[in-house]
Amino acid sequence: MTSEVDRRPAPIAPAITGPSLLSRVYGFGSIYGKAMRDSRRAVLLIAIFMGLLLVGVSFAIVQEFNTPASRQQLVAVVAAVPAILAGLAGKAVNVGTLGGYLQYKYGSFFPIIVSLWAILALSGTLAAESRRGSMEFVAATATARRRIALEKLSAHLTGQAIVALVVFVALFVVGRSVNGLPGDEISVQMAAGYAIWLFLLGIAAGAVAFALAPFVGRGSAAGVAGAVMFGGFIVNGYQAAIPTIAPLANLTWFGWTSNHVPLAGQFDWVTLLPVAVVAVVLFVVGVEAFARRDVGATSPIPTPSLPRALVGLQGPTGRASGQNLPSSIAWGIGIGLFGLAIAGSGKSFIDELGKATDFVKLLNQVFPGFDIRSVGGFLQLLYVEFGLILAGLAAATLVGVWAGDETSGRLELLLATPLSRARWVISGGVAILIGIVVVTAVAALGIAVGAVIAGGDVVQPVVGSLVLALYAAALAGVGVAIGGVFGSGYAAPAVAIITILTWFLDILAPAFRLPDAVHALALTSHYGFTMLGQWDPVGIVASVVLAVGGVLLGAWGFRRRDLRG
Amino acid sequence: MTAIIQIEKLTKSYGEHRGIIDIDLEVAEGEAFGFLGPNGAGKTTTIRTLLDNIRPTSGRALIFGIDTTVDPIAIHRRIGYLPGEFALYDKLTGGQTIEYFANLRGGVDATYQQQLVDRLDLDTSRKFKEYSKGNKQKVGLVVALQHRPDLLLLDEPTSGLDPLVQQTFYEVIREAKAEGRTVFLSSHILSEVEKTADRVAIIRDGILVKVDRVEALRDLAHHQVELRFAGDVPVGAFAGLPGVSDVTTEDNVLRLRVSGSITPVVREAANYDLLDFVSREPSLEETFLAQYGRGTGEAA
Repeated sequence: MTSEVDRRPAPIAPAITGPSLLSRVYGFGSIYGKAMRDSRRAVLLIAIFMGLLLVGVSFAIVQEFNTPASRQQLVAVVAAVPAILAGLAGKAVNVGTLGGYLQYKYGSFFPIIVSLWAILALSGTLAAESRRGSMEFVAATATARRRIALEKLSAHLTGQAIVALVVFVALFVVGRSVNGLPGDEISVQMAAGYAIWLFLLGIAAGAVAFALAPFVGRGSAAGVAGAVMFGGFIVNGYQAAIPTIAPLANLTWFGWTSNHVPLAGQFDWVTLLPVAVVAVVLFVVGVEAFARRDVGATSPIPTPSLPRALVGLQGPTGRASGQNLPSSIAWGIGIGLFGLAIAGSGKSFIDELGKATDFVKLLNQVFPGFDIRSVGGFLQLLYVEFGLILAGLAAATLVGVWAGDETSGRLELLLATPLSRARWVISGGVAILIGIVVVTAVAALGIAVGAVIAGGDVVQPVVGSLVLALYAAALAGVGVAIGGVFGSGYAAPAVAIITILTWFLDILAPAFRLPDAVHALALTSHYGFTMLGQWDPVGIVASVVLAVGGVLLGAWGFRRRDLRG
Repeated sequence: MTAIIQIEKLTKSYGEHRGIIDIDLEVAEGEAFGFLGPNGAGKTTTIRTLLDNIRPTSGRALIFGIDTTVDPIAIHRRIGYLPGEFALYDKLTGGQTIEYFANLRGGVDATYQQQLVDRLDLDTSRKFKEYSKGNKQKVGLVVALQHRPDLLLLDEPTSGLDPLVQQTFYEVIREAKAEGRTVFLSSHILSEVEKTADRVAIIRDGILVKVDRVEALRDLAHHQVELRFAGDVPVGAFAGLPGVSDVTTEDNVLRLRVSGSITPVVREAANYDLLDFVSREPSLEETFLAQYGRGTGEAA
């Protein structure tokens, strides 16, 4: 009875509502939900890009190659592609059909995109958060470390699955909608085979980064995973051309699944299993490493430092140049290797191209004004047209390095010295131009080597490739102007966007027969055909004016605005 | 005394957001001046305006008699600055970073530079990204101090430093002051200002609420007094004294709060048989909180 007397009514607790299911799935209700929210733009961008590209390209292929004869020519061109280029494409199986051609042309390109995304995301999902310190807060909650890792991992896998699903749906729609030739149908099995393969290749590359990141940190993990992925891709692609590397081809999933060509109707399902197993094992390693190791404790892979003379401690121009140098060399090597491959294969490719008249007609419609069946025309088509995008993106990178002074906050300290605002902008601009010279010089070396290998003229390709420097300098000027006037945080993204828009404009305006005035908006339409020795002074003058004027405008603008805090 | 910093009706607005409003302030040559306020009060905005990193919406600031917006470079030649939050070059070592800033300034005494490095116990061989927060702060301090500037602008300078290094920092500041150099130091750590500053300004919500000498600020504050009597507590004799408030008793102990001069309480206490008399001098922190607690600003 006493207990009855003593018993007090239990206090009515205020109704505490936990996070909603929706916010747990997408929002701030869970680590998974937040990770999904954080990656929403990447998922949407990649899914829309791949989906639209597949649909658009499929309709274009069916429309352009609408006769059995044109398909035969397409098969002949693909067969004629020199080994040095063929290694970068997919396996040529049934390329006379829509699915076979899609697999050949884009089949190996899409896995690179999703792999890069997976590497960037999974190398950073735990390591970057540990480094910036926010993981300390997350790990201090009642959530176990394993669960943190698993939720973040699951979010990325969901994103990859969504992209794979969109690709599947796009292929399914294409398979039902295109009114092509017999054999162009894409079955559900083919679409599913491709989507699953794409998903597994993406997560396998990401798994390498995820497993390594707790040990070596984000940068090194991403670097190693990228090297494994690209190395595997290249070795697999070139094993036929270079038999000595063939034994290495089976070290990665590109080699394991090389006979799985689903869109061409060739399946090798069993080979997908080891890819999945490797990914799961690496994910377990990553989760366990994160759970057992100290948060943020890594042993970065040592990288060589710049020689003291190149570090640039004497003044702002030297310092900015020293900061740019690694990026400049990297871009130069990248573009140079591209140039080497193109220049080295030019002669043999145009010999074969001459036999495919319909294909040449199509190319001339998209790239009018020059004969692509000449070596210069071929270099103009492949090296300059695509090199200009790379040069623009290199300029965006260098502008981003310059902008880092302000966006990181160190400009506060720099400008507290007698360094004037105008001098900072001009020094940065000069350093970017020096970086562009380095990029172009290294790239020119690549094209020169390629020309020597092909046994052709060296001078004209090298001189012609200098157009990349002009374009990059012009974009850098625009970037510095935007950074100086509006804030350097906008500079690099603006340069990247202008690069891509210009490229589209230059490509689409002739293809869609848009007015000349529209095409003329693209700076790249004003350089002439530099690989054929035809230089347009308008482009040269415009580039110099944009480069110099942009830097001066940036210096003027930066004097007038607040430093971003 | 020459005014090194003169701030006149300085206002900075960020659109809808408040920055600083009508700040008036003077700092004399050779003075150590503390700039106190809670997070977001406007300390960093004021300092960044002094550096011309951001431009005033209205009003003006002069340093060494030069308008900060007219010739900031002439000012920068003579100042040393440590931001509240900063980043430097991740891939450079601490030594390379210090060397680079010495090159940007020119004329840095390498011996003094090395002395600072040694006194702050900084390992200059490591890359900046590998440093702890405290060691990054040490690099920033060497960068700010190495050229013996006429004016030091230090925003939260001891953030992240261990107590021993903090003592070294205070020594360096005292030495700078002894050499006739001027120090302008912002902080929300009151004991830090108490140890280094001659005068203090308190800023709240972008408005300067008080400027005075450190000692005067203390005098303005209350004293917490505790009297232990041998006999009964004469509450009435003390409760009516000027400045006395919050009177409480417990057994034979009388506790009261005294604002302004404590003399009337001491004189009254002398009339009684006391076992103990304790008067606790208010810390600057209590002064500070008292200022904020009142919720009204007293423009300097």
